[in-house]
Amino acid sequence: MKIEDVVCPFCGCLCDDLVVEVEGTRIVSVENGCTLANEKFMGDHRLKTPIRREGKGWKETTYDEAIRETAQILCDADRPLLYGWSGTHGEAQSIGIHLAEILGALVDNTSTVCHGPSILAIQEVGHPGCTLGQVKNRADVVVYWGTNPIDAHPRHMSRYTTFADGFFLKDAFRDRKLIVVDVRKSESANIADEFVRIQPGGDYAVLSALRAIVQGKRSIIPPSVAGVSREQLFRVADLFLSAKFGAIFFGLGLTMSRGKSKNIRNAIELTEELNRHTKFIISPMRGHWNVYGSNEVFTWITGYPYAVDFARGIAFYNPGETTSVDVLSRKECDACLVVASDPGAHFPKACAEHLARIPTVQIDPHVNATTHLSRIQIPVAVTGIDAEGTAYRMDGVPIRTRMLFKGNYPSDTAVLEQLYAIVKEIKGP
Amino acid sequence: MRVILRTKPRKKPFIPIEAETIIPQNFLRKNDIRVYEGNKERRLEEIFYITAEGPAVSPDQVEIVLSGETGNIKRVGEYMNAGRIVVEGDIGMHCGNFMSAGEIIIKGNADAWLGREMRGGTIRCEGNAGHYCAAGYRGEKRGMRGGLVDVMGSAGDFTAEYLSGGEVRIHGDCGDLPGVEMRGGTLTIGGHCHRPCGNMTGGTCMVFGRVYDLLPTFRGAGNEEREYRGQRCQMMLYKGDTANRGKGSLLVKKNLNRTGTD
Ligand code: SF4
Repeated sequence: MKIEDVVCPFCGCLCDDLVVEVEGTRIVSVENGCTLANEKFMGDHRLKTPIRREGKGWKETTYDEAIRETAQILCDADRPLLYGWSGTHGEAQSIGIHLAEILGALVDNTSTVCHGPSILAIQEVGHPGCTLGQVKNRADVVVYWGTNPIDAHPRHMSRYTTFADGFFLKDAFRDRKLIVVDVRKSESANIADEFVRIQPGGDYAVLSALRAIVQGKRSIIPPSVAGVSREQLFRVADLFLSAKFGAIFFGLGLTMSRGKSKNIRNAIELTEELNRHTKFIISPMRGHWNVYGSNEVFTWITGYPYAVDFARGIAFYNPGETTSVDVLSRKECDACLVVASDPGAHFPKACAEHLARIPTVQIDPHVNATTHLSRIQIPVAVTGIDAEGTAYRMDGVPIRTRMLFKGNYPSDTAVLEQLYAIVKEIKGP
Repeated sequence: MRVILRTKPRKKPFIPIEAETIIPQNFLRKNDIRVYEGNKERRLEEIFYITAEGPAVSPDQVEIVLSGETGNIKRVGEYMNAGRIVVEGDIGMHCGNFMSAGEIIIKGNADAWLGREMRGGTIRCEGNAGHYCAAGYRGEKRGMRGGLVDVMGSAGDFTAEYLSGGEVRIHGDCGDLPGVEMRGGTLTIGGHCHRPCGNMTGGTCMVFGRVYDLLPTFRGAGNEEREYRGQRCQMMLYKGDTANRGKGSLLVKKNLNRTGTD
């Protein structure tokens, strides 16, 4: 059976035009998806049953036993951490936060290692943004700063920018100017009209210089800023100023390099400055599928988008203090539940070592690097394949994903609901 | 009155203690003082051996001495408004948050957010301070507003972020972006630092060591003489940050100035 308009469950683009052919509980083909999507749909590394570590090996166990043991581990802990959430749907994320509240746990999502600094900057100066549909139909100047969409978000350019014709841009490839800013010549830079190569860690200075130029203070700019010549800075600023509608997309090259949230703040302030002259927006290239949704759900319930500490019964938030990487590297937490993420692959070594030291339980469909650090793993259905739920695209648009077939795995929601009920029973009224 | 708090051995020593209740005014009233160890509320005596000597009729007659494994104790001196706290070793994050009067002396190192949004009083740290020393809370538009933070060693990144008033002195080096978003007050850096005063709109920052990667948006505005530790120093004056309003002053000791913008 061919199913149309399927939402891809991999990156923050949430492409919703895939055609997937299903035979029983098996996917046989995927059309319109990029290589990442094909691998996500067709990949076959799913665990068959829950497993628990025994001695040096693994033993299969039942869902009931695995969930009950997980509940006991979390209830016994003085500083449990519930991490991940970005690969699952909003309904499951919501249960996770309520679980953190009754446990007095820290709950954090993958923003902690991607766009957390962008959120900090937005909290300081706001966010001049728009939907990707607006960009597609209007943007005549597109900037990719510290991001390489051809590799990381392969269909971003073809659905929304360089290769996507829009209502006001009938021949997008020729009508849109593409500027790529990066420390190395990436594949995306190869097709740019202007490639700005910055010395590593020099983004803040270049953004400050562009702000000054846009304000008309050209005389102050030295001959070169972080490896970028004054002439190129003037040229880029003129391109910005000549835009009818400009869009800056930025990635981890900006959020996770020297200056972190201050780089983003500077980029937002540049965007605000440009809005005195023309229409300009700025938007983060969210990577992990529903990471935007995790920020939304966290914020509805706790008031904060990530790194929320319920240790004292109320929500406290302070990235740098309550973020998973910091908490794990300081060896603070004494138990961890990982849901829909792979910190074993993404976190620094010291954090992975601590995860291996404490009782770590993973709820995830796949065997991954975190499996090797865990005591228990509970396999679940993949949202968008054999589970349904709501996810948010990188521009904040919620999209309902469908179940393509009914498989044999419970969804994240089902497992977390059961876990919540047992924790509630152990904790008492 | 002198209260001595010496830490007891703990089963899980890496779990931080949240102890905003450790302020002089609380010991005067002899309340049942509680702290948090992770998600568990504990009585003070479960965490510390407590000795109290002498009388006190007002909080400014109370001195608290903290000793033992104190590097993981957070929020000591939060909202303190009188008296004195002496930390014999290191202290955890947020020491002296929002304090308005009194004195905190730290003989070791202080973790991040030392003197966060402080309003008055004095904090003297004889070792190093972590990131965001004398800074603001996330999203807060004003950081430290009054008082003095005096760090004898070095400080981390984003020192005195959003500084709005009072004085911050770091006698050693600072990390990246000290005085970022600064809008008032005085920041003195005895050693070296990277990219001081990004986006500053007011206040004065003096650097007596080397400035690395001075931002391109600071405009040279002549020379001035300033005194640091009894020595008269010739300083280059920059006005900035011109990416913003450009109304702050950055003074950098001569002959050790601008590098790295090109
Ligand atoms: S660009 Fe992202 S959302 Fe679109 S098909 Fe590829 S992986 Fe899936």
